[in-house]
Amino acid sequence: MSIEIHSLWKRFGNFTALAGIDLEVPAGQLVALLGPSGCGKTTLLRIIAGLETADSGSILFHGEDATRRHARERGVGFVFQHYALFQHMSVFENVAFGLRVMSRKIRPKEEEIRQRVFSLLEMVQLDWLAERYPSQLSGGQRQRIALARALAVQPKVLLLDEPFGALDTQVRKELRSWLRRLHDELHVTSVLVTHDQEEALEVADRIVVMNKGRIEQIGSPDEVYDNPATPFVYQFLGNVNRFQGYAVQGWAEFGGLRQPVLEHGGDTAIEVLGYARPHEIDVKRDDQQGLVATVAHVRTLGPITRIELVFEGGRIQMELTRERYQADPLQVGETVRIRPRRLQVFPAEQAAETATGAAG
Amino acid sequence: MRHRGVLPGFGPALGFSLAYLCLIVLIPLSATFIKAAGLSWQAFWETTTTPRVLASYRLTFGASLIAALVNAFFGLVVAWVLVRYRFPGKRMVDALVDLPFALPTAVAGITLASLYAPNGWLGSLLAPYGIKVAYTPLGIVVALIFIGLPFVVRTVEPVLQELEQELEEAAASLGASRWQTFYRVLLPAVMPALITGFTMAFARAIGEYGSVIFIAGNMPMVSEITPVLIVGRLEQYDYAGATAIAVVMMVISFILLLVINLFQAWRAHRELRGSV
Repeated sequence: MSIEIHSLWKRFGNFTALAGIDLEVPAGQLVALLGPSGCGKTTLLRIIAGLETADSGSILFHGEDATRRHARERGVGFVFQHYALFQHMSVFENVAFGLRVMSRKIRPKEEEIRQRVFSLLEMVQLDWLAERYPSQLSGGQRQRIALARALAVQPKVLLLDEPFGALDTQVRKELRSWLRRLHDELHVTSVLVTHDQEEALEVADRIVVMNKGRIEQIGSPDEVYDNPATPFVYQFLGNVNRFQGYAVQGWAEFGGLRQPVLEHGGDTAIEVLGYARPHEIDVKRDDQQGLVATVAHVRTLGPITRIELVFEGGRIQMELTRERYQADPLQVGETVRIRPRRLQVFPAEQAAETATGAAG
Repeated sequence: MRHRGVLPGFGPALGFSLAYLCLIVLIPLSATFIKAAGLSWQAFWETTTTPRVLASYRLTFGASLIAALVNAFFGLVVAWVLVRYRFPGKRMVDALVDLPFALPTAVAGITLASLYAPNGWLGSLLAPYGIKVAYTPLGIVVALIFIGLPFVVRTVEPVLQELEQELEEAAASLGASRWQTFYRVLLPAVMPALITGFTMAFARAIGEYGSVIFIAGNMPMVSEITPVLIVGRLEQYDYAGATAIAVVMMVISFILLLVINLFQAWRAHRELRGSV
């Protein structure tokens, strides 16, 4: 079932949590809402679930207006960061809860409830824990039970609020790929909230990057990583180097680096910032073009070699594959010229908004 | 190998607890038993089973039970309101809850008696409907509710505070109505605390004397509670009779409290039966 959101606003006192959100989640996709804490992603998810009400705007499920519908009538499964399992119920009863509270007319028979619960527990590979209580489970097990519980009522939409946020790295990685496989089997429209870019890039079909109550960019993981639409997205997704410079008459200049910028053809110079990913930078020894920089550190971390260089405008991070680096190693203290293969330029004003946004 | 904890050992701690309990609880109680043992079995039985005494047991335990049940219900509501809502004067209400602890019970009794007397503020409103509170068993229940309220509120409050709001949200998103969320999710979670609060209010009500004597009227067979009866015996220098009745009361109370505690332990155990 598809979800459509039209110009959604939400304020908490003076704080604007959502400032006119428009979003479409196609049926069967897994969409990640990605952003720093306080960007409004959880509020958006809770409004979709009906746990919070928007000040204005509308939500459509499968083309039908669901803005005023109560949480229990939305047919939405919700998974909480801290599991929210019912402590006094066994794992079995937790998963069966949604079936047991159905009105008598549509409630399945006891035997059918048993079957459904056990098939869900098998799906999350925890059928052997049916008689246990939540306090006896590990964090990863609890979250899988919470997911089984949410799926028991066959929701048309599955909403996950930082589902792996409370787990340690190893378990988080396992559950991430497990969730992806599960989604490929079930194809239930899902929205996942996360502040972890790696999680979003790995799991989601589409990523919605949010900042300060607004959507910065929507796109596939490759799109948002390779072609960030704003400085914020650049800085939030992955590591990035930032160069300060100015632009005039269609050219941007960063102390020795020149690049055409078609958007700024005027005669008055404006301040601009250039962004380049660490793996998109080349080193030249004999070139006359490029920034002059000195090699400060070299570290090899598994398959990648990370090089830190110092230039007059600050520091630059570079990444090369181990093989490429070993073919032509750099000496610490050596002076070289560097040139980004790709440098994206934004006016400095636009980037200033980003800085305050990232802090919030 | 003996396992050593951080705090001073098990031995001294247990020794101290036992000695302390003996001094404060066990010795006075056994003195009662010893005094009562002065009576022959026949005399003991006759003293403790006269119709007047039996009526007082019924009244004491019956009124206490009703008061504790009422407190369990309204105490839960008050605790809920104090935990979940913000409203002007909340701190005042919070402080008011503890007042029955601090107020001399006689003051409470006199105040309630004058309020509920047929010519009192509340009593005069109820009188046209034929409802009499003061000098009836109903008055006793009212007094016992008054003194027992803080127990339930103060035991349930911290548990409600700990209860995540997400539990309610999870239940709602799974399709549960408000009522289903209450009795399937919230009530079971606060139940142990609620039973503890109920037990304390109940135990306190059984032993209550000060507030009841003023509002009860203390009519034999109608509104005379067992503690009043015991004091009456003492005033007549019938020490053996007084202690005999006291022993019966104590035994009943002990059995009731034991049963409630066993029930609690059974519940707790049942919840962990899945553990290996």
